[in-house]
Amino acid sequence: MKMIVHDLPPQEFAALYDDKKEDVTVISDNGTIRKCTGCFGCWIKTPGVCVLKDEYQNMGELLARCDELIIINKCVYGSYSPFILNVLNRSISYILPYFVVKNGETHHRKRYPQYFDLSVHFYGDDITEAEKETAKALVAANSVNFYSRSYKVNFHNKLQAVKEALV
Amino acid sequence: MKIAMINGSPKLGKNSSSILLRILETLIPDEHEIAHYALNKKDLTPEQYSELCRMDTLVLAFPLYVDGIPSHLFRMLVGLEEYLKAERQNDIYVYVMVNNGFFEGKQNHIAIDIIKNWCLRSGLHFGHAIGQGAGEMMEYIEKVPLGHGPLKNLGSAMTTLANHIHSHSSGESILISPNFPRFAWRFAATHTFWNAKAKKNGLKKKDILRRL
Repeated sequence: MKMIVHDLPPQEFAALYDDKKEDVTVISDNGTIRKCTGCFGCWIKTPGVCVLKDEYQNMGELLARCDELIIINKCVYGSYSPFILNVLNRSISYILPYFVVKNGETHHRKRYPQYFDLSVHFYGDDITEAEKETAKALVAANSVNFYSRSYKVNFHNKLQAVKEALV
Repeated sequence: MKIAMINGSPKLGKNSSSILLRILETLIPDEHEIAHYALNKKDLTPEQYSELCRMDTLVLAFPLYVDGIPSHLFRMLVGLEEYLKAERQNDIYVYVMVNNGFFEGKQNHIAIDIIKNWCLRSGLHFGHAIGQGAGEMMEYIEKVPLGHGPLKNLGSAMTTLANHIHSHSSGESILISPNFPRFAWRFAATHTFWNAKAKKNGLKKKDILRRL
């Protein structure tokens, strides 16, 4: 399954991506997402599922069914935009609380056996070089911690360029 | 000077960020006026955003979330940028304390860079940052005197941070791991933290490992 997580208004996303043939799950901002409260319930109370009951509580399970994850979002200070951050904060049930040491650093252990390819599209008409470097480092670190099979980072001045990159 | 201590942890109860802020406050001379802000229960009000624009110093303490900044704190920073552009009149310096659930403090460097980028966009001076590893340990060792045992590195780093805040000076980020063997930390984290917390919820290790 391919999953697209984006921060665009519905009409803008529809103009960007209208391929209904593929097996695609789209995660959008419908204004109801709750913030992660740092309770770790998704690890030690209801393992694999966030305890907050909204449409985003099964992000870990969705990632486990995913072989390609595409994130489309505005680059904000070299980070993901707030909604994408919120979704990722609510996705840690995809991994386990336990630790492994990889390349001399501790990371959380994998929960699921499969891997997905990660591609991140940052849009914005005035992204600075420093922000690009930060964003690249962020995606690389996420790739390690979420065990993606590969990762790509793309920067776009205009949304139209994202559409072309998605084709 | 007026200093805002901003706790960016989303947790309702005691948290590592609140412990770090409390320790830092003891190291800052009494002559400074300190105000406290927390984001764990309610969003900041418009009045509070405006108050922050009139501060001389902002101290941000928060946990590392998915290699970056917790989303609720990030939303606040995005909102504050607009207030700062409209209302700020004085120079404001920003100081940061990030703690993560891994062992190595160096894993906090990306979150610190994001705050630096935010400062540039918002017209603020970035002062200094501490990135601390094994943040969850703080609740268990907070009674250890600062600068001793597992808090040796942290004591030195926080003294440096407090001096920078007092003098509005800047310095290279200090990324520290606790003075504690990593294998022992990992054992304690697995058995006395995760497994013990799950057991209180009636779960066994095989439950923690479940796949959906």
